[in-house]
Amino acid sequence: MPQFEIANFVPQLFWLAIFFAILYFAVVRPTLPKLGRVIDARETQVTGDLDTAANAKAQADRMASDYDEGVAAAQGDARARVVAAQASAAKQLEAKLAESNAVIAVRTAAAEADIAAARQHAMAEIEGVAADAAGDIVEKLTGTRPDPSQTATAARTALG
Amino acid sequence: MAGPMEQFAIKVYKPINAGGYDVSFTNSSTWMAVALVAIAIFLYVGTARPQLVPGRWQAAVEYVYDFITTMLDDNVGPEGRAFAPLLFAVFIFVLACNLLGLLPWIGAFTPTSHIAVTLGLAVLVFGIVCVVGFWKHGLHFFTLFWPKDTFFLLAAFVALIELLSFLSRPFTLAIRLFANMTAGHVLLKVFGTFVVALGSFGALPYVFGVLPLAVNVALSALEVLIAVVQAYVFALLASIYLNDAINLH
Repeated sequence: MPQFEIANFVPQLFWLAIFFAILYFAVVRPTLPKLGRVIDARETQVTGDLDTAANAKAQADRMASDYDEGVAAAQGDARARVVAAQASAAKQLEAKLAESNAVIAVRTAAAEADIAAARQHAMAEIEGVAADAAGDIVEKLTGTRPDPSQTATAARTALG
Repeated sequence: MAGPMEQFAIKVYKPINAGGYDVSFTNSSTWMAVALVAIAIFLYVGTARPQLVPGRWQAAVEYVYDFITTMLDDNVGPEGRAFAPLLFAVFIFVLACNLLGLLPWIGAFTPTSHIAVTLGLAVLVFGIVCVVGFWKHGLHFFTLFWPKDTFFLLAAFVALIELLSFLSRPFTLAIRLFANMTAGHVLLKVFGTFVVALGSFGALPYVFGVLPLAVNVALSALEVLIAVVQAYVFALLASIYLNDAINLH
């Protein structure tokens, strides 16, 4: 086997040493660390981006909860205002109702008084007419006219 | 027809003699150079303008780099990162030599099928492991061989075995790779010979060559797998040995 011929060792080892030295010092050492730096930079970038994303998410969550809180507060405020408005409207309505009731009561009382007066007046007139009519009737039946005070009393008793 | 071992023959392209030593430029040197150029193109194109979002070349180089750093992180820990360029160089050099040697071309040669090359790489790894071990732990590095809480005589015996197994590491590392590469290429060559021998059966030409040809196609796929796996095993064992040197136990 040519592999075990000692004469082949020295030239192969010599060139191996030269080529491996070139490979290590002129090829691998100048190129590989560049790649290592890029890989490190990529890792930093990725972790940085992930942190930024996490921060942005936390901020968005905070904004969302702030918004929810704001909406809830506004809703509560609006509800309270509605309740207050309803209460004040009911109070105003009541006051107005009471006022108009009082006005109506006053007018009703006045109208009732007018009616009572009118009735009294009408009654007095009816009494007069009835007394006259009674006087006329008695005169025609008896030929004598009774005393007007007597007919008036009789009419009042009959009507009253 | 050429024998199955002839593919491993060293052919001298340019005889060079330096200080009494034969350092001729051979087909082995040529294919190490081809591997070097291929790796250089791969790495220089892949890292020409490194982007945060990598392109195809950069993604390919990053994939291999990530493979090596993951291996070091798993086997050595955070201190292993310093050896990433070295392990990367060893892995990609072995991988390139293994794969380029499989090119179905008459001049193709696999430097890693020669024990001189694999032993050179293994001794480099072993040497670095020793240097790191003694530099980091001083003479405490020898405690790597000494079992804790054990009866003295037994401990001494175990330490002897441990020392022997430690010293045999470069050889096992080298022979594993060399044997795998050599065996694979011999097998491909043998079945290739069968294709020609059976296919030229006079009464019924070509028909009997089909079977060994099919075997050879399957074997080629297997050899590609072995080329990658052996490069991986070489790098993995190197990282495990580095772990011994850095973390002792």
